[in-house]
Amino acid sequence: MGKKMLNLEEQCKIVNLLKSSSEQKSIEETVTDFFTNSKLRHFNVCYSLSLLLQDKMMLSSTERLVAFAILHRSYSSQKSAANPFISFLVNAACDDGAEKYERAFILQLLSSSNSNSSKEFLKQSASDYIKNFDPSSQNFPQREQLQKQYFEKVHPEPYSCLLQNTAVKNLLADPDVPCGCDANSAELDSQPGAKSKLGSGDRDEALSGLIANLSLEGLIPHWIRPVPPRFPVDEELVWLNPDNSHELQWDQGMCADTSRGAAVRDLIAKALKGALAPNQQEQVLVELANDPKLVYHCGLTPRKLPELVENNPLIAVEVLTKLINSPEIADYFTVLVNMDMSLHSMEVVNRLTTAVELPKEFVRMYITNCISSCENIKDKYMQNRLVRLVCVFLQSLIRNRIIDVKDLFIEVQAFCIEFSRIREAAGLFRLLKTLE
Amino acid sequence: MDSRDSSSPSAPNPDGSADDNEGGLPVTAALAKEAALHFQSRKFAECIDVLNQLKVKKEDDPKVLHNIAIVEYVRDGCSDPKKLLEALNNVKKRCEELAHASGEQVESGSSSGNKFTLDSKGSGTTIQQFSSDSAGIVYKHEFDTSVAALNIAVIWFHLHEHSKALSILEPLYQNIEPIDETTALHICLLLLDVVLACHDASKSADVLNYLEKAFGIGNVSQGENGNTGTQQSTNLVGKSSSVPSSTFVSDASSSDLAASVNASENPLSRDLSEDRLNEMFSTLDIGGQNLARSAGITSANDHPRITVDRSISGVDLKLKLQLYKVRFLLLTRNLKLAKREVKHAMNIARGRDSSMALLLKAQLEYTHGNHRKAIKLLMASSTRTDAAISSMFNNNLGCIYYKLGKYHTSAVFFSKALGICSSLQKEKPLKLLTFSQDKSLLITYNCGLQYLACGKPILAARCFQKACLIFYKRPLLWLRLAECCLMAVEKGLVKGSQTPSDRSEIRVNVIGKGRWRKLLIEYGISRNGHVDSIEKNDWALGGHGQPKLSLPLARQCLYNALHLLNCSEWSNSKSVLPSNSSLEESEPSDGSSYKNPIHKKLSGSNSMAPTMLVGLVNSNGDLKEPKGGANQEIVQNSVSYYEDIRGRENQMIKQALFANLAYVELELHNPLKALSAALSLLELPGCSRIYIFLGHVYAAEALCLLNKPKEAAEHLAIYLSGDNNVESPFRQEDCEQWQVEKPVDCEEPNGGAAAAKNPSHESLRECMFLKPEEARGTLYANLAAVCAIQGELERAHHFVTQALSLVPNSSEAGMTAIYVDLMLDKSEAALSKLKHCRNVRFVPSSLQLINPANCCEGGLELDPE
Repeated sequence: MGKKMLNLEEQCKIVNLLKSSSEQKSIEETVTDFFTNSKLRHFNVCYSLSLLLQDKMMLSSTERLVAFAILHRSYSSQKSAANPFISFLVNAACDDGAEKYERAFILQLLSSSNSNSSKEFLKQSASDYIKNFDPSSQNFPQREQLQKQYFEKVHPEPYSCLLQNTAVKNLLADPDVPCGCDANSAELDSQPGAKSKLGSGDRDEALSGLIANLSLEGLIPHWIRPVPPRFPVDEELVWLNPDNSHELQWDQGMCADTSRGAAVRDLIAKALKGALAPNQQEQVLVELANDPKLVYHCGLTPRKLPELVENNPLIAVEVLTKLINSPEIADYFTVLVNMDMSLHSMEVVNRLTTAVELPKEFVRMYITNCISSCENIKDKYMQNRLVRLVCVFLQSLIRNRIIDVKDLFIEVQAFCIEFSRIREAAGLFRLLKTLE
Repeated sequence: MDSRDSSSPSAPNPDGSADDNEGGLPVTAALAKEAALHFQSRKFAECIDVLNQLKVKKEDDPKVLHNIAIVEYVRDGCSDPKKLLEALNNVKKRCEELAHASGEQVESGSSSGNKFTLDSKGSGTTIQQFSSDSAGIVYKHEFDTSVAALNIAVIWFHLHEHSKALSILEPLYQNIEPIDETTALHICLLLLDVVLACHDASKSADVLNYLEKAFGIGNVSQGENGNTGTQQSTNLVGKSSSVPSSTFVSDASSSDLAASVNASENPLSRDLSEDRLNEMFSTLDIGGQNLARSAGITSANDHPRITVDRSISGVDLKLKLQLYKVRFLLLTRNLKLAKREVKHAMNIARGRDSSMALLLKAQLEYTHGNHRKAIKLLMASSTRTDAAISSMFNNNLGCIYYKLGKYHTSAVFFSKALGICSSLQKEKPLKLLTFSQDKSLLITYNCGLQYLACGKPILAARCFQKACLIFYKRPLLWLRLAECCLMAVEKGLVKGSQTPSDRSEIRVNVIGKGRWRKLLIEYGISRNGHVDSIEKNDWALGGHGQPKLSLPLARQCLYNALHLLNCSEWSNSKSVLPSNSSLEESEPSDGSSYKNPIHKKLSGSNSMAPTMLVGLVNSNGDLKEPKGGANQEIVQNSVSYYEDIRGRENQMIKQALFANLAYVELELHNPLKALSAALSLLELPGCSRIYIFLGHVYAAEALCLLNKPKEAAEHLAIYLSGDNNVESPFRQEDCEQWQVEKPVDCEEPNGGAAAAKNPSHESLRECMFLKPEEARGTLYANLAAVCAIQGELERAHHFVTQALSLVPNSSEAGMTAIYVDLMLDKSEAALSKLKHCRNVRFVPSSLQLINPANCCEGGLELDPE
């Protein structure tokens, strides 16, 4: 299930390599043989070997030397600092608990790549190397010195996960021996042909088992990652009710008599241009009353409203009253507020105030416009006329409680004072005073 | 309009205009009337004949073409809605072209409106600006497209294309005043059904208010007295103006206004002839079974609409509105009021078909948690054995049993409901009504939920995928799909994922014998690598095959849901104004008082709605008609209450989405994205303790993976009291509350009891999440991991020991413990922990040497001494 570090071929290679280490073949030769197959994944092979090397019991002394040689050779084409196992090698060279010959061998390996120093020591077999080793011939430098020497140009480590970096090897020795026995005793090695004893075992079997099962991953601390809970089902289930059956509608307007609508449209068009005759006015009012929707189709638009107001204020009042629910009524009001002040427009607004409820803002705005029109007019005669009109209009609004005087008190009072020479203004002023 | 014209007494209009029509008018008008009569009496063949004569006389008249399309469609058994849609769209286009060509198009509000509001300083802004793009194109009567548009919307509605229907109906509704009453009423009712189906409470409230104002039929007795024709007709007036008998005008000033309007010599209301009124009411039908019912009535008579007594139809409309109101209240979960109103509906429906009222009552009890009562009512309501009805009946039973926790029973009902649906679909030819009654996609969604509850993610996902067709805009659907993925991955149903037992298993290879025996531990390999080996393109949902559930798909779904949620939040904040505008606009008088939002006044105190109603119920328990304004306020209240609930629900969904997203990103080895999701989760306001816990745990793990163990530790340290003690991140109540929380206040005595009974029941079934103590253990274990990484081995040892005492089954905690022991050079302790761990499987290696490629796993348990 887990990822195996080595494929079958690599496993065989390693097993053969280790076996051949005891033969009288030079180390050089053994190593070269090992690398004849280029398909080997160097890192995986080396990592496996390093794991095996970490266990001091597992490999024999000759096997260890060969394994170290492989670790070194795999990356010898590059700078020593680029060898991923350089720190492993240096550590092994400085390990005081290790055999002297082994440490010396590693030091020789390390120095061999640096210079053109002799690789003579590799020309002998591993067992010869051990046999011929003279401890006095080798001095062992300090760890710091080695690190300086070989780590020199260490590249910054590429990104890797901290969890992985802190991994320990996932291999545990679990010697299965009877109580009191020394697990390291060689007696417990099973002898070929001999009857197997309790606690005995075969090293080669264990070794090949290890090689087959080693994995790249070490042991790391593990995080508990709770699965988020399922979202609760609350109002989510769909309850079904039968739909109302909406049926297709017949268009009743098909071939309907539109003549009267057309007549009203014509009359309204006329009404924009001049006052209508009383009977025509009557006809418009009756038709509008008969069909409350007709007002929407009579051809009036906000833009045309001022003309209608000036020429036929009564019809304008009627139309606006009927349009009070129209979405466009605000546009009509806006036009009404902004059109030039006149008797007719004031009459329309006055009538409207009694017929429907107008927006307060609209009324306020209209009054303000009235007052400023009065002030701006140049013609004295016209001014007097307009002021009197406005006063009457305001009195009517106040009496009918259409406006709240408080809202406009100062404005209206100032107006009254400015035009106090006019009788109606004085009257309005008195009315204001009574309301105070 | 022909009926109106013929009925109006002042018909004679011999002069002028009539002559313009080449004298053809009387003939065509007569033919039109004949055709209409044929249509009403369902003699479609004759109807077509007459219409064809008309077509010869008035070539290319869009209205003739419109009616021909309608009749042909009905005559052919309503089997080709597509063709009809095309025809109607052509008619509409033709009408608009004609209107333009004749130059008779009245200036629209949109163009002029903008101009004038710009001109005016100040005033324009306070006077309601009404110049939405779609509103206001008013044509002459001849070119009026409202009926054609309504019919198009009807078809879309029946095809469940609610948003398309809405896009047609809304402009009509915005500019409803010029439309004649019959069509307007149909538009409103259809719109109400559509917005209710879309769960749009505020629009529903708006339309409901308008309907009651414009078409409301006083009180019950009025309808039953019978002879109130004139009074009723006055109700059919425009929106806010004088409606004396329907008492919705709120303040004194506007009732003054009403009086003044009535006093004026030209009252706003038009006297409808009784025939017209009659016709209008009788075209309204109650409930989905109308076909069956009218068939029963009309067996002797082919003229159902004409024979229906006027007073009855008046009451029918009343009942209809009442039922809409109940549905609205149910939607907004204003259960208390819904209860009252459904009672009212039952009273109106007395002696008539009360099945719809009963169904709603059943829904009410179901929502309340009174499941037994709901079942009883359901049984009582489905007396008719109509297939469509019985499929809904089964679905509803399924819902109830689901809520009772009996998932398998509910599965039976859901699949029965689906079975009936598919047999309906097999009927040839497919009819429009069959489409609209086909609720299979909705039922399928319920099925999905039920499969998910039963732990069948692949089946569930298939259901959700189907329901996607209508629910693709719902964030919850995507969350559910993501949950399907997670469940499938967790259960090892996905290629590359492992079964739960595999996942938490520690495999130990036993190598060698005797003194050479070695243990090789393998753990967590599944987590690091295999899942993401699935090809990235596999997640696509397309095609008819089943969706390939995977973690990338889960991520995609979660992003969809988040996107939808953000969109809806964004549009909610924007759409409040337009949706209220027509309401506001209808009352320019008290616009100012309307503008200080009732939301704000009442949203905090939901209890106000019930208290306000106390006065409305007299000693008999009958509902008095609410006094003016109160009704509207209640409706508005419900809306804001509902929006509150929706807001909270969306917050909950958002929490779940971010939590799931963080989890998925961790699983996909994207610690950076996981971190940002976890931090977003922690930033959510009002986050529940459980999700806060998850947020911290996910954030900490992500930080750890990003080599920031110190920051990771900070997230976990929040739960530390003192140096080494972990507090419970949440309490049991949090768990239960979170699982069973219902936004509805269950103050009803029986409802309360049921709700009190339920939690224990449901929490047993539903609470699949960690218990508080387990969560504590999780925190200990993760703290141990963080400490171990940082080399604080003693502390790690302390934490992991605590963790193991709380979550002894956690293999992760076990592994961390072994790791810490090994780091502390306590290999003996590590060995003994390994051997006592529960999830360990010892595998003898000799078997694997023989065939390493295809290892068989005869799990041999090693006896630990």
